[in-house]
Amino acid sequence: MSEVVALKRPRGGTKLRIGFLRLTDSAPAIVAQEFGYFAEEGVDAELLEEPSWANIADKLAYGFLDAAVIVPPLAFAVELGLRGVSQKLIIPCNLSLGGNTITLSRDLAGEVRKLAGSEGISKQRALAACLKGRAEPLPLGIVHAYSTHNLLLRYWLATGGLEAGRDVRLSVVPPARAVEALQSGQIAGFCAGAPWGEIAARAGAGVTLATSDEIWRAAPEKAFAVRARWAEGHPEALKGAIRALVRAAQFCDAPENASYTGALLSRQKYLGVDSHAILSSLPGGAVSQDNLSRFWCGAATFPWRSHALWFLQQMARWDLTGPVDREALAERVYRPDLYRAALAPLGLNVPLSDAKAEGAHDAPWQLDAAPGPIAMGPDSFCDGAVFDPIPTPASF
Amino acid sequence: MALTILLIDTDEERARALGEKLSESGFARVVRARGSDMAAAVERDKPDLVIIDMALPDRDALEDIRSVSSASPVVMFAGTDDPGFAQEAIAAGVCSYNLSGVALQDVRPIMASAIALFQRYRHVETELAAAKALLDERRLIERAKAILMKNRKMTEPEAYRWLQKKAMNESRKLADIVAEFVQQEEAAKRETGP
Repeated sequence: MSEVVALKRPRGGTKLRIGFLRLTDSAPAIVAQEFGYFAEEGVDAELLEEPSWANIADKLAYGFLDAAVIVPPLAFAVELGLRGVSQKLIIPCNLSLGGNTITLSRDLAGEVRKLAGSEGISKQRALAACLKGRAEPLPLGIVHAYSTHNLLLRYWLATGGLEAGRDVRLSVVPPARAVEALQSGQIAGFCAGAPWGEIAARAGAGVTLATSDEIWRAAPEKAFAVRARWAEGHPEALKGAIRALVRAAQFCDAPENASYTGALLSRQKYLGVDSHAILSSLPGGAVSQDNLSRFWCGAATFPWRSHALWFLQQMARWDLTGPVDREALAERVYRPDLYRAALAPLGLNVPLSDAKAEGAHDAPWQLDAAPGPIAMGPDSFCDGAVFDPIPTPASF
Repeated sequence: MALTILLIDTDEERARALGEKLSESGFARVVRARGSDMAAAVERDKPDLVIIDMALPDRDALEDIRSVSSASPVVMFAGTDDPGFAQEAIAAGVCSYNLSGVALQDVRPIMASAIALFQRYRHVETELAAAKALLDERRLIERAKAILMKNRKMTEPEAYRWLQKKAMNESRKLADIVAEFVQQEEAAKRETGP
């Protein structure tokens, strides 16, 4: 009997070292590991908790990690060698949408909300009004220079006429220190991923003023980055890993699994924080739907080239990259072809195009996909912009 | 030429040991800082080199030091021309940032000292962890045997063989089997009451 089991589930398999940070949206990787989804696909995954994005980047660059749950701008920075030695990476799968908060100290958040309400203006305009006449730029924390948080926060501030450097001073503060930094006045607010905004709120240190969704609904957040060399050497294991992550993403997205996922993530070896703080941004676990990480619905796992190009455009906007051929880079790193190849045997609906018009939908819509269409949520930006890098011909 | 080195470490003793070693060499002036005020320390001490414990999340702040300092762009020194050296540093859990463009040959012996010291501490830590694990395992085996002897009226050698056989049948480590067994038994006991 035991031999049959051994044949069906080969011991070992292809080794895959995956780095992650203590964040709610590391969930798909953690679930895929704990439930044996990787093992069932012949992938011998090892999950390594890292304390910083810098460690993730360096360990990918020097081959101590084969893959990571990463913020996409950092994957581009590693690929381009912008912060140390360069390493070719690919992103064959996205892992989450949304989940970030802009959290401000209680007093300031209260002032901004009150003004926004009484004047009927956006929160970012209200913040700008509150900051008028200040001698010093407002100190705000972000988690890394090459993070989605830096790009989303700057985008949001810009729509209120605020500029980093002039009106606010951005500095990097690890989210686990953000509560302390808010209390000591070192920063007046921060933009970070779940559960850290909730943890600051629970500690009474800050109040969530805005979320990812209020900046860009369905904003891409974490992605699965793999060293290109590993991917080339293990094409079947790569497909298996993508399938395992997609399966885990479906689990994490199902509302009935929220408390299970929250309890799993709260373990000491993963996030090591209160499971209620984690639950507050899980689909099905949240009391309010203000700040949700989404893992599967709305083609959340698909690596859209239009996401890649938006990140690269914003990185260029804030002078975070040198001159670079953005189209070629997006095509090299984001790999929807590998995603489709991995999912082919599962019969799941997969988008037909590689890019979409980001921001074009402020109501639910249907995406062309095969074998059947995919129900999508709104994807509008806070300023109503539409980012359509690769216009597709109108279907007839 | 004396370099100014900013040393940021979680381990007080290790930081002191490394600081002394580098100061004695006469090549370096060593200043120390807590992780959380790193940006201020860089501004104040204008170090040529930052040596930092990779276990600190604050390392991310160094990646953006351009925004707080007029220093030249931060590069992770270890990556310059010798990937082997960099790998050794990462494996030891230490890394460095070159802030002032000082030449690699001046930095290399300093980093070599840091790597050696981190390796030595890591070695001690690993040994301690291994010793502790062994002790825990022995304690758990004793506990599991006691449960078997009491509940299933086994003799001590029988109990031990039973555990060994279970581990062999499930092709798992004895330590894992024993830990799981004790946990289950104790959970069952809590449910049924004393």
